[in-house]
Amino acid sequence: MKTPRITDAQVDLLAERLRAVGVGRREFLKVAAGLAAMGPAGFNHRPADAAPKLAPGEKLAKDQSFRYGGGGWWQDDPTSHDFNKDLYCNGVPALFAGLMKFNADHQSVLYVASKVTSNSDGSQWAFTIRKDSKWSDGSPCTARDFEWSWKRQLDPASAAPYAAFLYDIRNAQAFNKKEVTDPSQVGVRAKDDWTLEVTLEGPRGYFPVLAAYLAALPAHRASVEKHADKWTEAANIVCNGPFVLETWQHGQVMVLRKNKHFFGAKDVVLDKVTIPIVPVASGALPYENNELDLTSLQTGDLKRLQSNPKTVEEVFRYPFPGTWYLIPQVTKPPFDNLKVRRAVAHAIDRANIVKVAQGFAIPAHAMIPPGFPGALDDPKIKAIQHFDPKLAMAQLRGTPFEGGKNWPKVTLTMRDEALGSKPLAEAVQSVLLEHLNMKTDLEVLEPRVFRERLWKQDLQFVWIRWFMDYPDPHNEYFDTFYGKKTTGKRQAWVNDAFDRELEAGRDTRDPKKRMAAYAKAEEIMQTDVGYVPVAWTVRYAAAKPNVRGIERNRQGEFVLEANIYVDMLPHLYMIERA
Amino acid sequence: MRGQGPRSNESGEAARSSNLWRDGLRRLRKNRLAMAGGVVILLLCLVAVFADVLAPLPYTKTNFGRLNEAPSREFPLGTDQVGRDLLSRMIYGARVSMLVGLGAQIIVVLIGVPIGALSGYLGGRADICLTRFIDVMYAFPRLLFVILVMSALGAGLTNIFIAIGLTGWVGIARQTRAQVLAIKEKEFVDGARALGAGFGRLLTRHILPNALTPIVVSVTFGIPEAIFTEAALSFIGVGINPPTPSWGQMVGEGQQYIRSYWHLCVFPSIAIAVTMLSFTFFGDGVRDALDPKLK
Repeated sequence: MKTPRITDAQVDLLAERLRAVGVGRREFLKVAAGLAAMGPAGFNHRPADAAPKLAPGEKLAKDQSFRYGGGGWWQDDPTSHDFNKDLYCNGVPALFAGLMKFNADHQSVLYVASKVTSNSDGSQWAFTIRKDSKWSDGSPCTARDFEWSWKRQLDPASAAPYAAFLYDIRNAQAFNKKEVTDPSQVGVRAKDDWTLEVTLEGPRGYFPVLAAYLAALPAHRASVEKHADKWTEAANIVCNGPFVLETWQHGQVMVLRKNKHFFGAKDVVLDKVTIPIVPVASGALPYENNELDLTSLQTGDLKRLQSNPKTVEEVFRYPFPGTWYLIPQVTKPPFDNLKVRRAVAHAIDRANIVKVAQGFAIPAHAMIPPGFPGALDDPKIKAIQHFDPKLAMAQLRGTPFEGGKNWPKVTLTMRDEALGSKPLAEAVQSVLLEHLNMKTDLEVLEPRVFRERLWKQDLQFVWIRWFMDYPDPHNEYFDTFYGKKTTGKRQAWVNDAFDRELEAGRDTRDPKKRMAAYAKAEEIMQTDVGYVPVAWTVRYAAAKPNVRGIERNRQGEFVLEANIYVDMLPHLYMIERA
Repeated sequence: MRGQGPRSNESGEAARSSNLWRDGLRRLRKNRLAMAGGVVILLLCLVAVFADVLAPLPYTKTNFGRLNEAPSREFPLGTDQVGRDLLSRMIYGARVSMLVGLGAQIIVVLIGVPIGALSGYLGGRADICLTRFIDVMYAFPRLLFVILVMSALGAGLTNIFIAIGLTGWVGIARQTRAQVLAIKEKEFVDGARALGAGFGRLLTRHILPNALTPIVVSVTFGIPEAIFTEAALSFIGVGINPPTPSWGQMVGEGQQYIRSYWHLCVFPSIAIAVTMLSFTFFGDGVRDALDPKLK
């Protein structure tokens, strides 16, 4: 079957659906990128085999128990595991299986569905459900369960906060808003036990992407009807995912067991998963005390773990492509003066500044981190803003600030966020003082206030980062700096030649020409000092040496469980310790 | 001290009062804890004043090659996460603390004493209005109110003065009012009034000087409270803006790394603790010395 075409207008609609459920632009773009990279098999891609691939000499451990958490995973007790009612319940996604799932490249692939078909314009979809799809009590999990679950989410009586997620389904919105009271009018119907037919409001080529998201997970009807809001307590829950919830001590720990009724159970190796609820502030302590097998790391901890010969091998990098940079606001003195901006650009001692990040940053000479499409290793680009304190001071000649004198009050503003960001900002302050005699005050604003003032372009001098959403320069330049952006524009700097290059990059298909356009854009922006790149981010996690099976993406980097990719646990396994 | 009291030729009451100060000083001297506290405070003041001379390095001097180093001969208290000398930053931090302690108390006195005095002296409806106002202000949780004011004004030293001053005058106003209420009924006040002293003269020359004791005590306790408030504000990041060092800010940043680099937060914490303790001992001493009835 031919996959229906997904038009730009449809992608906009998809964005709207995801926005309705609080999925930020950033996450949406990841999904959109997965959509764009979808192969000829379309949504009927088989998920990668989860069975363990043992290296020679490795033996599966007898005890397949795995513990993870800390570093941002489950800082707070989940409100429930009822994703069907509230996708932000903060529950454990591995308890459930949807019709589709996202793989490590954020592509929607088959899961409970064994086949997806649609009519030619994508306004009607049929999901064929695996015959071995079962609930954890052994009863079949059928198309009727999905029909019931989606209608439950849409039912105004459920008051599900993110019901708008399913508004693509015919009459879903009307039903949710009580304009249609007959649930049979809603365009989702189990044709038989194994076929779910979905009729949409119009052509929606992306519908299987929605079906892969947390919000489309099913709920067990009998349990919901019997236990109401308490149905996801450990004693009550019936689920259909790779794991079941064995115990849940609120605010302390959750223990999962392998679900023997799960259709993919033969590929799931872990038998027991323990998830303690720990605040980020406890850092790597639980990991070092051997209470966790996997955790993500913070600044102080990384250095300690890396300097310990016992743990150095356990630390690994995972992609978190991001760029730290400065915005000298061209509408505010002294940065309205190009010479001042150039002086700042040459005064930034990147190699030294990143030292304070202690491994969580490397010097940046452009927007795109190395290894990603559009990364520039061009000496010409590197030269534009290279560090040279004499040259920096020389730029000030003929300005009122010659010799580093007469600086007005300069306030460097940053967002209040976790470890690592403030020392970098303080290092920037320090090099500006040292090389330009520019004294700056560092103002740390609460995130919401920061964003509001940033978008008003009300800040004089900004310390800020951009985390890459999907690996394409369009994201790093267009989504960030495009001058005609109407919302979320960070800097007052606008340059027509720069914008033209971005438009060329967007509208050209030839990859070589595209990359050339982006390289030119980078050159223009750096020459005019629309921004000053400072550092690229790096993130680290630590896993005990006997943990295996963490998936890698197409770039070959490890991917850890987050909000879109939630398929980590079924791939993991433990080997015997050497 | 003596010059602030009423002149001794004005009344017998005033003569006794000048003795009170002298007696107080004598009693204070005998209090070893208080004197120890006083010495530490004096030292801190000297450190604050001569920070530029005492600090081995400027507080902004970074050294990216020597981050988070533990105490050594070269850096007696170690270096921070940007490679700055912790000792130098602590020395400059003392300046911030002392400035806040004294600066904020000046504002507190300037607001609290006149309001309290007026309220107590005028009595009647004015008193009711002012007291209710004081009560309303008193009802606000102090630290939250300070944070609110700080977020409205923005971070910075001057704004800390203002924020602490605006919220801290309530206690002193109450005490002043109580004192004035009692003193204004005394015979020497009647006497002064009979001799033709006007409202202003009565209040500033006859009543307030005799109400000074609790005000002085209140100020001695107010200073450490202000210092601590600044530390708390900087700890949570709404106090002093970097790179200006403040003990609270140093503890706030350092505590995130306590397991890797203990010295970052331990030394500033000790500094805050010692300062608070010294002021408390000294304040206790001053109170005992000036108001023996309380003992």
